[in-house]
This record gives sequence, C-alpha cells and structure tokens, in this order.
Amino acid sequence: MSKKIAVVSGGASGIGRATVFRFLDEGYFPVILDRDADAAAHTLAAFEQRKLEGQFIQADLTNKQEVRAAFEQIIDTHDHIDVLANLAGGTFHKNPIHVVTPAQWKECLDLNLKTTFLCSQAVIKPMKAAGKGTIINTSSNFGVTGGAERTHYAAAKAAIIAFTKSLAAELASHGIRVNTIAPGLTGTERVRTKYTEEQWSALGGVLPMGRAAKPEEIADGILFLAGDESDYVTGATLHVNGGMVMP
Amino acid sequence: MKRLEGQVAIVTGSGQGIGAAIAMTLANEGASLVVAELLEANGSAVQKNIEQAGGTAISHPTDISEESSVNEMLRVSMDRFGKVDILVNNAGIYPVTPVEDMAEEEWDRVIGTNLFGTFLCSRAIVPHLLERKQGRIISITSGRGLQGAKNGAHYASSKGGIIGFTKSLALELAPAGITVNCICPGVSDTAQPRGHSTEEELYAKGATIPLGRIGQPEDIAKAAAFLASARAKFVTGQTVLVNGGGVMW
Repeated sequence: MSKKIAVVSGGASGIGRATVFRFLDEGYFPVILDRDADAAAHTLAAFEQRKLEGQFIQADLTNKQEVRAAFEQIIDTHDHIDVLANLAGGTFHKNPIHVVTPAQWKECLDLNLKTTFLCSQAVIKPMKAAGKGTIINTSSNFGVTGGAERTHYAAAKAAIIAFTKSLAAELASHGIRVNTIAPGLTGTERVRTKYTEEQWSALGGVLPMGRAAKPEEIADGILFLAGDESDYVTGATLHVNGGMVMP
Repeated sequence: MKRLEGQVAIVTGSGQGIGAAIAMTLANEGASLVVAELLEANGSAVQKNIEQAGGTAISHPTDISEESSVNEMLRVSMDRFGKVDILVNNAGIYPVTPVEDMAEEEWDRVIGTNLFGTFLCSRAIVPHLLERKQGRIISITSGRGLQGAKNGAHYASSKGGIIGFTKSLALELAPAGITVNCICPGVSDTAQPRGHSTEEELYAKGATIPLGRIGQPEDIAKAAAFLASARAKFVTGQTVLVNGGGVMW
C-alpha cells in the first residue's frame, strides 16, 4: 500500500519543518515546498541520516506558474495528494501603519494569504479526483485578536480563517476537509533570534502555561486536523497556544 | 499504539450516546474508565461492553447535580484506581420549552445538571490534579451555546456557560500544565435530538450540513481522545467544533 502524501509549504524551517517530521513519524511521505533551498538541505540531510524518505521542491509560492509546476510535478511523481499543510509565511517585520509601505503590505499578504490561496487551489482537482483530502491553513493568535504594528500580518491571518471556512463549504461535498491551525507564541528559530534569552523567558513567563509553544506542539495539532481523527471537523480553527488566546 | 495507556478517566453521562462512545474510545486507547452515569442499568451495560472489548471499567451511578453524589463517585474512583487523570463532563439534558412557559424548576434542573454539574465535578477533581500537576478536563458544549436555541434558552445558557467556565478554569490550571477544553458537537445521532425531531427530520438535517451527514457519537469521541492525549498538551481554554461544518464559528 503506497504511503500517504503530505505536502507542506514552508516545510524547510520552523513549524513547517516540525510538521514534516511529525508526518514522517506517522508514516507519511512528506513533500517540502519552500523557497529556501539552504534550509531545505539541512532538513533533507536529517532525513538521510535517519534513513527517512521525503522530497523537496524549491518554489516561490507567491508565483502562480511556480506553484502550478510544483504541484504538477508532485502529481506526476506520486499520483495523489492526501494532505496539504500551508505553513509558508510568517511575520517578517513589525511596523505601525504609517511606517508600513504598500510594498511591505503586499509582501506580507502575498507570503501568507496568496500562497495559501494558490497552493489550496492547486490541490483541488487531484483531491476531488480521489474523493478525499485534507487542507490545513495557518492563522495565528493575531488573526483573532489583531496586534499593534501587525496590521498587515493580522489582516492576512484573519483572512486565512475566513478563506478556510469558505473553501471548506465549497469542498465538503467532495470529501475534502479544510481547517485552520492557529499557533500562539511559538519558539521557532526565526522568532527566537529576535529576542535575548532574558526577553524570551519574560515573554513566555507571562503566558498562562508560563512558556511559549514548541513547534512540535503545533505540529501535533496539524496532524490531528490532517487525519481520520478529525473526520467530522471542517471549517474549524484549532488554537494551540497554551491558553494565550481563547476565542 | 495506545495513547492513553495507564490513564484513568471519569466520563459523566456515559450510559448512552456521546458519553458512551467517549468512554469506549478512551478505553480502546488504554484508559481505565469510571462510567459515572445516572441510570444504573445503562452505566452497567457500558461497563460490560468495555470489559468485553478487553478494557477496564467500573460503573458508579452518579447524579452530577448533587455534591454528595459527585464526592462519593470520586471517592469510589480513587479507591479503585488510586488516581484520576481525565474528567469528561458530558452529562446533559435538553428539554424543549419557550421562555414564557418555562417553570423555574425546569430552568434549575437544566442549569443544575449541565452547568452546575460540570462545575461540581471539575471542582471535586481539581485538588487531585493540582497535586499531581497533570490532568485533563474536557466538557461537552453545543452549537446552541454559540448560536442560542429557540425553545431551549436554559440549554443554550448552560452550554454557553460551559464555554466561559472552561476558559476561566483553563487560566487557573495552566500554570500546573492541566488543560481544560470543550468540544462543540453539531446535530448528533443520539437520543437527545430525538426528543425534538422525528427520525426522518433528524437524518434530513444531514443534507444541510457541509459534510453531508449528522454527527455520530464516535466523531466527538475521537476529538476527546485527542484532547486527552499528550499531543494536545498545549491546547487549553479552547472550544473545538466537531460539527461537519454545520457552524463555522
């Protein structure tokens, strides 16, 4: 029996990378879609070391042609896609609104929302052909609460929640489930580099569980949404944030 | 691999419906069960089913609206198993009455079982969970708690109340690593909605739900098993919607 195929956008680092390893744990064949070949190389080296199987396709997921080519390659090779986890994105900078340039706004929306749209769109035909599939999109605590100096990021992350519900309604009758994972403060490499040890400790210290999330804890939530355990869950948002936000 | 091996779970209202499915599923994941059901015969039947499937369970008739009954159930659980890891507040009732006709007794009974009972059971177990600095409290709310229920204001109030209670208790217990969440079913294939709809009406609702069917008790049970497991250790204060897309909150 062939392995289940899990496509993870942004899977070369951070939560995406943790998600890729969780999919491996659960016996999936992961396909990493990412623009960062260096980060992907590290992940692939880790696969090799542990004799695990996975694939990397480099792509700029804000580019419609590159997305199309990437997914065509995946279908050519694997014939089907069981799960799409859209992890590409993130907050690359914070600025009050008058400082945010239109280009920065567009970049943030493109990296977070546009990539989600393009990749989701690309799996619809193969998932409909198979009569099943799951899509997990990534929002954030900021998607429900907003955040000062994050007008662009919060808008993108809130939009993803609404996008997910809409797509869920469209694809439900085809056996395809679409849900959102919403992490809170999570200790990825990118986030950690923004703070000193002291600052990071303090940030986590004021949260209900006294710490930020580990990337694997977010990945566990994604795996729940990806598999049969959540067969009756669609259009929902799962917040994994240690009680930081409770909508 | 059994995800709840060695754990002990109390499930209230587990003599039938969603509660029975939760008890069975947790048992299949390796947990020992306390079937805390009001109706003795129903509770015993579920206990036997669990044992027949190779699991471990006791049944103790419990009225969750009475503190003495809750305390007795907890005492019996501790005597038998020495500890409790998981509490599932599932017991609930749903009479149909418009507010203008609603007797105070009926209001008290619904709030008393659904909300006060959730409070009593949670309150009874919290000191034990805090001592061990681990545990899971999972309550069952309802889509009605988010959207209201025509002719069920007491039910909707109790279920909405469970959400507020869950978030608050989650904040209190987070420093100890104990998670508190609730699961929100939609229309489920159990005895409860049959109190309001005919068999035909009930199944017809499936057509209005995005995933094309009404919910089965096992759908909720799977979500409960996830929340009870180590994989959900950073999920707390949340309302997990398991309703086939019927309500996308």
